[in-house]
Amino acid sequence: MTTHVISLVSIGAHPTSGRPRRAEQDARAVELGLQLAGDNLQVLHAGDIAEPTLRAYLGMGLAQLHVLEQPAGADALPVLGDYLQDAGAQVVLTGSQAETGEGSGMLPFLLAEHLGWPLIVGLAQVESIDSGVAHVLQALPRGQRRRLKVRLPFVATVDNAGPKPRQSAYGPAQRGVLQEHDVQVVDDELFTGAVLQPAKPRPKRLKVIKAKSGADRMKAATAKASGGGGQVLKGLGPEAGAEAILKLLIEEGVVR
Amino acid sequence: MLNTLLPILLFAALGLAVLGALRRVNMWRRGRAAKVDLLGGLLAMPKRYMVDLHHVVARDKYIANTHVATALGFVLSALLAILVHGFGLHNRILGYALLLASVLMFVGATFVYLRRRNPPARLSKGPWMRLPKSLMAFSVSFFLVTLPVAGILPADFGGWLLAALLGVGVLWGVSEMFFGMTWGGPMKHAFAGALHLAWHRRAERFGGGRSTGLKPLDLSDKSAPLGVEKPKDFTWNQLLGFDACVQCGKCEAACPAFAAGQPLNPKKLIQDMVVGLAGGTDAKFAGSPYPGKAIGEHSGNPHQPIVNGLVDAETLWSCTTCRACVEECPMMIEHVDAIVDMRRHLTLEKGATPNKGAEVLENLIATDNPGGFAPGGRMNWAADLNLPLLGDKKTTDVLFWVGDGAFDMRNQRTLRAFVKVLKAAKVDFAVLGLEERDSGDVARRLGDEATFQLLAARNIQTLAKYSFQRIVTCDPHSFHVLKNEYGAFDGHYRVQHHSTYMAELIDAGALNLGQHKGNSVTYHDPCYLGRYNGEYEAPRQVLRALGIEVKEMQRSGFRSRCCGGGGGAPITDIPGKQRIPDMRMEDIRETGAELVAVGCPQCTAMLEGVVEPRPLIKDIAELVADALLEEPAPAKTPNLREPAEVH
Amino acid sequence: MSDIIRRDPRAEWIARNRLHPLHAAMQPEQHSWMGPNGIIRKNVHGMGFIGPNGIKRIDRSGAQQGGATKRTAAVQVQLPLHQVPAPAFYINVVPDMVGGRLSSHDRDLLGLARQLAGSDGAVLAVVFGEHKESAFDTAGVDRLLVLDGREFDGYSPEQRVHGLRAVDNQFSPRHWLLPDSRSGGGELGRRFAASLKERPATRVWQIKGSECIGRAGAGREDLARALPRLILAAVECADPVSDTRHEVLPLELSTALARSLPRIEDLGAVAVDPGAIPMAEAEFIFSGGNGVKDWELFHQTAAALGATEGASRVAVDDGFMARDRQVGASGIWVTARVYVAVGISGAIQHLQGIGACDKVVAINLDPGCDMIKRADLSVIGDSGEILRALIAAVQAHRNGAKRDAA
Repeated sequence: MTTHVISLVSIGAHPTSGRPRRAEQDARAVELGLQLAGDNLQVLHAGDIAEPTLRAYLGMGLAQLHVLEQPAGADALPVLGDYLQDAGAQVVLTGSQAETGEGSGMLPFLLAEHLGWPLIVGLAQVESIDSGVAHVLQALPRGQRRRLKVRLPFVATVDNAGPKPRQSAYGPAQRGVLQEHDVQVVDDELFTGAVLQPAKPRPKRLKVIKAKSGADRMKAATAKASGGGGQVLKGLGPEAGAEAILKLLIEEGVVR
Repeated sequence: MLNTLLPILLFAALGLAVLGALRRVNMWRRGRAAKVDLLGGLLAMPKRYMVDLHHVVARDKYIANTHVATALGFVLSALLAILVHGFGLHNRILGYALLLASVLMFVGATFVYLRRRNPPARLSKGPWMRLPKSLMAFSVSFFLVTLPVAGILPADFGGWLLAALLGVGVLWGVSEMFFGMTWGGPMKHAFAGALHLAWHRRAERFGGGRSTGLKPLDLSDKSAPLGVEKPKDFTWNQLLGFDACVQCGKCEAACPAFAAGQPLNPKKLIQDMVVGLAGGTDAKFAGSPYPGKAIGEHSGNPHQPIVNGLVDAETLWSCTTCRACVEECPMMIEHVDAIVDMRRHLTLEKGATPNKGAEVLENLIATDNPGGFAPGGRMNWAADLNLPLLGDKKTTDVLFWVGDGAFDMRNQRTLRAFVKVLKAAKVDFAVLGLEERDSGDVARRLGDEATFQLLAARNIQTLAKYSFQRIVTCDPHSFHVLKNEYGAFDGHYRVQHHSTYMAELIDAGALNLGQHKGNSVTYHDPCYLGRYNGEYEAPRQVLRALGIEVKEMQRSGFRSRCCGGGGGAPITDIPGKQRIPDMRMEDIRETGAELVAVGCPQCTAMLEGVVEPRPLIKDIAELVADALLEEPAPAKTPNLREPAEVH
Repeated sequence: MSDIIRRDPRAEWIARNRLHPLHAAMQPEQHSWMGPNGIIRKNVHGMGFIGPNGIKRIDRSGAQQGGATKRTAAVQVQLPLHQVPAPAFYINVVPDMVGGRLSSHDRDLLGLARQLAGSDGAVLAVVFGEHKESAFDTAGVDRLLVLDGREFDGYSPEQRVHGLRAVDNQFSPRHWLLPDSRSGGGELGRRFAASLKERPATRVWQIKGSECIGRAGAGREDLARALPRLILAAVECADPVSDTRHEVLPLELSTALARSLPRIEDLGAVAVDPGAIPMAEAEFIFSGGNGVKDWELFHQTAAALGATEGASRVAVDDGFMARDRQVGASGIWVTARVYVAVGISGAIQHLQGIGACDKVVAINLDPGCDMIKRADLSVIGDSGEILRALIAAVQAHRNGAKRDAA
């Protein structure tokens, strides 16, 4: 028996050009769904059916994609919640945050709360689904994994540790069907009080030297700014060199 | 006795040959329709055979003469034999003619035999080793049975034994030559080859023409397959073309991927297509296998998917689309078209572009460049050069097409050098700036026709807004696509490679050039400039103007070896035993040159990727810019050729 | 650290002034110890104090005041203690406590909480289970609530949300602050928000008055909005506390936590090979090139450092490394925080591929190569010897750390 899986997808934005594309994490959610349910995977989107980028998901080999039609700026949560309530899914997969709009990453949490289902964050792999219980691997930072046991049905978010999404092919993308569903539109009240603006680059934090002595302050003020060429250790023994490297690694927190 | 036996033998063989021909024709007809001038092609065929094909074959004098003798001898003796022995026209003159023809054929066959005594690796063995003997059997038998006709010997000379022997000889000869011709023997090449020349998919290639642009897919036609999945998805004349292969292995000898040990052998690929169109396995193939792949494990038929049945996907992705095989093929078979057709299916239908292919295609869609760089950074390389934008000027003489090299730090040096040259020559030029997009070359070679057409349409739309006399680019790939492939989408421009344009500038005296100082120089012909567009001379002319005597590599000009950077090969990155650029660098080292001049950002990148120490790599534009003298030439107005009207 | 003896008149004054809040900290340690022959020895220089006119005085009455501690240029100054006797409100912080200690992200967050608390509010840190942290005071924690119990062991987000809700009921903090990190805070904060049905501000990197700014979407945009009660803050959202000490008064929950059956069961960590971590994600890459002669040693070093392995194109072409490990313009563009290049001369394509790396360390024989120009730290020498020394140094460091923890 295959599992009934629904993957939720959104329209992403390319990181350098900002043009619409299939969202990276959502595509991973679809890929994971395809691996779990094959052709029985159902893919769901809440938004504008006329958006051509939706076809990029169909290009992954989906026969159809269900669209809950609503304009931009509408709240996707209630319509998705209502739809999923009756859809009979056992596993709902989403990306962990949207690439456009607020991108707070709250949707899966609110959906899980709404449905009363457990939520797995950072699902990397489903090891087994057996009599209503799933063994899954959760992705941790630095590529680590944790094994969890969860009972069905559940919601899971997929981040960049999920399986690499298959290529979107032109042929299936053109043949796939966008299935339209009419739903009641609920406006999102966030944007009444909030403004989206182009991201400001955040300056690197300067190493503030709270000098305890004048000599330290002097040293801090006159020291060569980092960035203007690096330090070159020449003619030292290997031990001294290794020590210097290790010091930097520890400072940067990569060796613990 | 022979008088009764011979007509039976001849006509039986001919009858079987006709049956076989019909069967073969039906096999080809499984392919899709193609627009071909059937009658005109047939009429043009003899000329195509004797002129165009002979030009290619004549690169190897030995085999050219051998082939002329054998083929002419055979055609004549076959026709005469039918008259003399088939219809019983025992005319003395005809007899002598037949004797002469069979002698000619015998001489040819002897030379074929000599070549086959110790055949080079590229030649197929198997039934092909039998062919010289069959040719001899045919010519000798007919010579002997015709002696009485010519009146040299009495009619009943030799008695039963000789008659039986001759009967066997004739039987062998006609089975190979007539029956085998249409039933899949080595002589199939004559029958299929003639028709292939008549109905070639690129008729423009004959008569000294050049046709190298890929043919577009009609994406609006929903019923047409997106590329080739099964052998029957090829057009019928492509299938016919595969059948024309003589397995001479010239393509194999020229193929850079084969030499590098990547799993591609163009000859085997074409033979696999023949297996596909007829059905069966590749066990009977008697040539070199795909490196690293055993023979006999693949099979197919016209209705079965090719990839992972008949051919492995990595074979198709090994190709650099350098066209060396097509250039060498004496039968003028279009290997690259077939490979791209099959790649199209893999990319457009299966979404199976290997390695970084998918990422590159996604980047092309989302950022108009394969690297996924922010489109707004396309002109960063020229931030301090104050380049005129065509968007501001609206009209210009030279449109400088920058290409995606704009994002590559190495190539930016070339671009800046070329700008220096343009400025020194006081050329009226402009760039598209942020309006430029990738030309679509990589997308198309990776089989993504949809993305190519998207990019092409947008570029053509942009170009239509402005007026310019010509496009000049430093990138042979953009050059080729703009020049040869945008035409199908109503983008007709006069496009020049920067070497051609610089040669013109130098001719017109617009550049005040000093001499190149120091090291000896060789020149590497980029495939997309040379083989694709026939421009071998202009770069050399520019180098000569700098006082450089090019130390030619053994493989240069139309035989130039690919750098390994074309056709998306660095993206699909199929492993081999060695790297193509390393082999090319070996060619360069052999000349003893300390510097290699190139004219292509891909070649530059690939050759510079070879581990040092190695010769320096410099673009022609860099060499010219280095040799520019500060003071401009005394006011000599650039007297360029009036640009031709372009449509 | 210099050993120059310096007088610190202010410290001496504090040492004499019994009413000064730092008075106790300025008292010298009594220096007496058992000598080798069983005789008690005293450091007479440590005794007494410097009087206001600069003359050393020893008070033998026993009521010693002030002391002439040997002061060097680098003095361990006891920071002033910030006290909030009756907090007007709470700012609750739930630090990640990676490895049982405050991470730098946690400290930034506590710094932010300190700003929000001002002089009347108290920063309340909620910590689950056992911890090893000893520096809550200097990190800016006024109140510490440790939620102890077996149910919070391991991965237990649902139980923790229960805990946080109980804390919320009892203290009604003005703000909840959680680190928007992948090490737990981001998830816990969102679960908590969903359970409270409150909309949090996420990836916040600046708070100005009643406004906050956080990253939105995929990081190409910022979202400015009114400051909500729940804040998930990004790294470096504020400077950590550095000028004050805090009380770290322990608090407890007034009600026992209701137990609930966990729906997610933690079956423990799964061993992952660092080599299997995708290159683009790795934060620490150890990359080898043409100059590496001993690949076995190279792999050992990478394993000892716990780094993800990378390679230059040449190393890949020569078959020492897999193609998916290739760094550079034609390989993978990496974003590691630290990139160690061993025997890589730095072809331009390679340098392009590591353009986004923060710190580059080069180990190379040739001091003139391009990689050295790019590197923040370069060690010139034989890579084999340096790698062996590096393995030894790391092992020594790890052993030292273990002793510290014990």
